[in-house]
Amino acid sequence: MLAGAAAILALVLGLLLAAFRRRGTASDEAAGVKVWIIGLGFVFSMSVLAALTVYGLFAGQRLMPGAGAGVEAGVGTRVGADVVSVSAEARQWSWRFAYDDRPDHITDDVLHIPAGRPVDVAITTTDVVHSFWVPRLAGKLDAIPGHVNTLRIEADTPGTYQGLTAEYNGPGYRAHVFTVEAHDAQSWDAFVAGDRQ
Amino acid sequence: MTALRRHRKLSAIWSSEPGFRGWFSSVNHSDLGRMFLVTAFFFFLVGGVLAMLIRAQLATPHSAFADAGAFAQFFTMHGTIMMFLFAIPTFEGLAIYLLPKMLGTRDLAFPRLTAYGYWCYAFGGSMLLVALVFGIAPDGGWFMYPPLTGPLHSPGINTDFWLIGITFVEISAICAAVELCVSILKYRAPGMSLDKMPIFAWYALVTALMILTGFPPLILGSVLLELERAFGLPFFQADLGGDSLLWQHLFWLFGHPEVYIIFLPAAGVISTIIPVMARTTLLGYGWIVASAVALAFLSFGLWVHHMFTTGIPLMGLAFFSAASTLVAVPTGVQVFAWIGTLWKGRPEMHLPMLHIFGFFFTFVIGGLTGVMVAVVPFDWQAHDTAFITAHLHYVLFGGFVFPILAGIYYWLPLVSGRKRFFRLGEVAFALIFLGFHGTFLAMHWVGLMGQRRRIETYDAETGWGAINLISSISSFIMAIGLAMVLIDVLIHAFVAVRGGRNPWKAGTLEWASMSPPPAYNFASLPHVTSRDAFHGDPGLANRLAKGEGYLGDPQSARRETLTVDIATGDPDFMVIYPGNTRLPILMAAVTGLFFLSILIKLYWLTPLALAGVAALALVWVWRLGARTDAGPQDAGRGVTLALAGETEKSPGWWGSVFLLVANATFFGSLLFGYAFLWTVAPGWPPQDWLAPSLVELGIGGAAALTSALAMRLAIRGNRHRARPLPGLAFALTATLVTAVTFAMLLSRVPPPDGHAYAATLFVLGSYALCHALIAGLMLAFAIARARRGYTSPARQAEFHIVSLWTDYLAVIATLSLLAAHLPGFLA
Amino acid sequence: MKDVLRILLAPLLWLASFSATYGLHGIGCALGWPEIALWGASVFRVALLTAWLVAILIQVAILIVLHSDRFRAASAFTQWASLATAWVGLVAVLWTVYPVAVITACGGNG
Repeated sequence: MLAGAAAILALVLGLLLAAFRRRGTASDEAAGVKVWIIGLGFVFSMSVLAALTVYGLFAGQRLMPGAGAGVEAGVGTRVGADVVSVSAEARQWSWRFAYDDRPDHITDDVLHIPAGRPVDVAITTTDVVHSFWVPRLAGKLDAIPGHVNTLRIEADTPGTYQGLTAEYNGPGYRAHVFTVEAHDAQSWDAFVAGDRQ
Repeated sequence: MTALRRHRKLSAIWSSEPGFRGWFSSVNHSDLGRMFLVTAFFFFLVGGVLAMLIRAQLATPHSAFADAGAFAQFFTMHGTIMMFLFAIPTFEGLAIYLLPKMLGTRDLAFPRLTAYGYWCYAFGGSMLLVALVFGIAPDGGWFMYPPLTGPLHSPGINTDFWLIGITFVEISAICAAVELCVSILKYRAPGMSLDKMPIFAWYALVTALMILTGFPPLILGSVLLELERAFGLPFFQADLGGDSLLWQHLFWLFGHPEVYIIFLPAAGVISTIIPVMARTTLLGYGWIVASAVALAFLSFGLWVHHMFTTGIPLMGLAFFSAASTLVAVPTGVQVFAWIGTLWKGRPEMHLPMLHIFGFFFTFVIGGLTGVMVAVVPFDWQAHDTAFITAHLHYVLFGGFVFPILAGIYYWLPLVSGRKRFFRLGEVAFALIFLGFHGTFLAMHWVGLMGQRRRIETYDAETGWGAINLISSISSFIMAIGLAMVLIDVLIHAFVAVRGGRNPWKAGTLEWASMSPPPAYNFASLPHVTSRDAFHGDPGLANRLAKGEGYLGDPQSARRETLTVDIATGDPDFMVIYPGNTRLPILMAAVTGLFFLSILIKLYWLTPLALAGVAALALVWVWRLGARTDAGPQDAGRGVTLALAGETEKSPGWWGSVFLLVANATFFGSLLFGYAFLWTVAPGWPPQDWLAPSLVELGIGGAAALTSALAMRLAIRGNRHRARPLPGLAFALTATLVTAVTFAMLLSRVPPPDGHAYAATLFVLGSYALCHALIAGLMLAFAIARARRGYTSPARQAEFHIVSLWTDYLAVIATLSLLAAHLPGFLA
Repeated sequence: MKDVLRILLAPLLWLASFSATYGLHGIGCALGWPEIALWGASVFRVALLTAWLVAILIQVAILIVLHSDRFRAASAFTQWASLATAWVGLVAVLWTVYPVAVITACGGNG
C-alpha cells in the first residue's frame, strides 16, 4: 500500500512539475478533458480504488469472528470448537477480564489466553467509551456502554503482549493499559483448572 | 454625471459610519467580510498557540510542563477552535467579501443577516475564549463523546461551554449559508447564467448547501447533550434507554461533511487562481462543477468511517468503506483538471502559486493516507493513533491552509490596493512547508509505532522521543513561517506603495471594481456575456464607473441592486437594501443572553431573552416595506423591474426556503435519533408508551393542515379583493389550536428524565409547539402589517413567506403526531 | 430552482437509497433475518439485494427521464450537468451498495 501511494504521489508531482518545464504549444480544451479528466481523473483513479476497496473488504472478512449464525454462517470465517471465549469489561481506568472456561475467576488488567487458538473477546464497559487494543494481536474495538462487541484475537506464540485503551476516556487515559498473557497448551490447561499462576 | 460625482453620490448612500463606530452598525459585505477574516485569523493564532503548547509538552518523554487535565483542554480547544472558529468563519469571510464583487453586484441578499451572523460568531467565540482564559475550557476531545462528556463523568461547566458556545457560533454558519445560497442563485449581474458563474461561486454554493444540511445534526446533538446535562434527559445513557452511539452518529453526520465544507471553498480558490497563474481558462469547467456536487453528496455517505471500531457489522462498514474510496474519484478529477489546466497554459511561479504547489504536495499525501484508513482492517490498527492526527492535518492544512494562504496573497492587492513590498512571503512559505512536513511526517511514523493520540506524555523506553522532538522543532519552524506571513500582510496593508488595478490580469469581475473596492462595489452593474467577463474587455471597468451599466443613476438615497432569474441570468426584480443599523449587534447580544442564561443556569432569564429575540425580530422585519405601491422601476439600459417586495418570490421567500432546508434536516435528524434509539439502544421498549389518542392526532393534524390551507385563502383573498384578513385570522386560529394540541401532548408525556423515549417525545413535542408559536407570531405580524396598510395585491411578498412556514408546520406537526402516537397504537 | 433540483436529484436519491439500505441492514440484523431461509438464501440477503436492485432501477430511470424531450433542461449547460450527476448517482449506487451481494450478514468486526 505504501509503495503504491508513493508511486501515485510521484506521478502527480511529476506531472505538476512537468507543466512548468514544458515548452510547446498549448493543448486545446477537448484534448485536455480526454487526457486529464477522463483518462487520469476517472479511469486511473477508479481502477486503483476499486482494487483497493475489494481487497480491503476481503481482508476484513477474513479477520471476522464466527458471527452470523444460521443460513449465512461461516462465509469466509473460521468457526470451530477450539475458539476460546473471554470477556473484557472496561472502567475508568482499569480492565477486568472473565473467562467462560473458568467461570468463577476474574483478573484485573491481565488477560490470559491460550496461544495458537482463536479467542473471542466480548468487550463492554461500565462507564464511558473505551477501546480494546492489543496492537500485535488484532485491530481495536470499542467498549460502548450497553453494548457488547466481540473481537477475535489470536496469539501465534506464547508470551506477554502489551494492551492499550485507544479512545480518549479522561485524565487517566495514558496509564490505562493492560497485558495479555498467551499461554502454551499446558499452562493454559493449568490456568483453566485454577492453579495459581 | 461624471464618474467622480457618481462615486461621491454612491459613497454617501452606501458608506458605513466613519471610524470604529462603523464596525457596530455596518451591514456592508466588504466591511463584514474583512471583520470575519480578521477575527478568524485571530482565532487561528489562538489555536496555533495551543498547538505549540501541545508540541512543547510532547517534545520530550515525561515532560512535566502540563498535567493531563490541562493537556486535555489544549487538544480539545485546539481542534475546536481550528474547526469552528477558524476554518468555517474563514470560508464565510472570504465568500462574504468576494462573492458580490465576483458576481457583479453590490451586496449580499440580506446585509443585516451578515452582520447578525458576524456578531453571533464573535460573541460565541468569546465565550470559548473566556473558558480558555479561566482554565475551565472543554476537555473531552473535540468530538465530545458522551458518556465522558455527560453529566456523570464531566460535571463541571467545561463541556457546557463547548455545547453552548459552538451552537451559538453555528447560528452564524447557518445565517451565512442561507445568505450565500440566495445571493449566488439570485444576486448576480444580468446575463450571468449558471454556466457563466465564476467557478468560486459554484464551490461556495455547494459548500453553503452542505452547511445547511451538515450542521443541523450537530446542533441537534448539542441540544440533546445539553438537555441531558442540564435537565437529566437521558439521550446518551444506556441504562435509561439512551445510547452514546447516537451522539457518534449525529456528530459524524456533521463531522465528515465538515471536512469537505472546509476543503471545497479552498478548491474554489485553487480553481480560481490556477487558470490566472497559467494564463488560460479552467480545464473542464462543467466537469469540475459536477465533481464538486458529487463530492458534496458522497461526503454525506461517509460518516460511519469514523466509527469503524464501534462494532458495527462488517457489511455496514463495507458500505462506508466503499463510499470512502469512491469519494476520492471526484477529488482526483479535480486534481487532474488543475494539473491539466497548468499544461494547457503557460504557468508562472508567483507567490500564490508556491502555496498551491504546497497544497498539491500536502493534499495528495493526505488523500492517499485517507484512502489507506478507508480500508477497514488498516483503520482498525491506525484508529486513534498519531497516524490519524497526521492524516487529518495533511488533509486540512494541505486542503485548506495552503490554498487560503494562496488566496490571501492573490486577493491582497484587491483588498488593499497596494503592491507587495518586501519579499518576505517566499521565505515564509519555505519555513511553513518544511516545518509542516517535518512535524507531521514524523507523526505518521510515531503513530504507526503505536503512539496514541491525546496522551499527555510517554515513557523514554518507547523510543518515540527523537521522533517527537523532530516533530516539535519542526512545528516551531512552521509557527515562525506563519508569523512571517502575518508580518508580511501587516506591512502590505499599512506600508506598501499603491498598485494598479488587476495586477494578475485576471478575468473575474472583482477586479473590475476599484482597488480597494468602494462600499457599493460597482457604480453600475455590468451585462455579462462570458465566463471571464473582464478578460476580453479591459475597458469594462471604466464604462461601469461612467454609469453605462444597470442602475447607474443613483436617484434617491436608497441602496439599490437587482436580482436575476436563477438559470438564465435575466434581470427579474429590483431590491432596496436596508441601511446601516445597530439592530444586528443588539439582536446578537440578546441571543447571547439566551445562551448565557443556559450556560450559567439563570433559567428565569431564558424566556425573557427569547422574548427579546422575538421582539427584535419583529422590529427587524417591520422596518422593511412600504405603504404605497411603487410600481415598475427604471433599472437603466432600457430595463424596468418591479420591486422585490411586490413579487411572489422575494429574497425573503428564498431565504426562508433555505432556512427551512436546514430546519428540515434538523427535524429529520431528530426522527433518525428516535428510530435509532428504538432499534439499536439497549433498554427499549420503555415501560409504557404515550397513551395514544385518535382525538389528539386528528385535531392536531387537521388544525395544522387547516392553517396551511387558510394561508392560501389569505393569499387569494389579497390578490383578488385586497382582503387577506379573513384568511389570516382563520390561519392564526388553526395555528393556535395546533399549539394547544402540542401543549396537551407535552403534558401527557411520561417524565422525560426517566427514559430516552419520553425525553425524545418531549423534544419532538417542544419542536412542534415552537413551530406552531413561530407560525402564530408570523400570522399575527402579517395581520398587523395588513391592517397598517403595508400590504396590497402588489405588495404581497410577506404573505408568501408566512405561507412557507405554515406549510412547514403542517408537515412537521403531522409527522410529530404520528411519531408520538403510532408506537402506542402498535403496542 | 428546477434546474438546481435537476442537478441535485440523482445524488440526492443515491443518498436516500444508501441510507435506506444501511437502515434496512440494521433492522434486518436486529430482527434476525439472516436466520430465515428464502429461495436458497436468507430473507436478509433477498431483502438487501432487492433494495439494491430498486436503487439501481431508480437511477437508470432518472437517466432515461433526463434524456427525454419532456424533462430535459432548457440550457445546454444544465442538461449536461444534470446528466453528469445522474451518472454519478448510478455509479455511486453500484459502487457503494455492492457489499450487499458479497459480505457476510451481520458479522461483527475485529
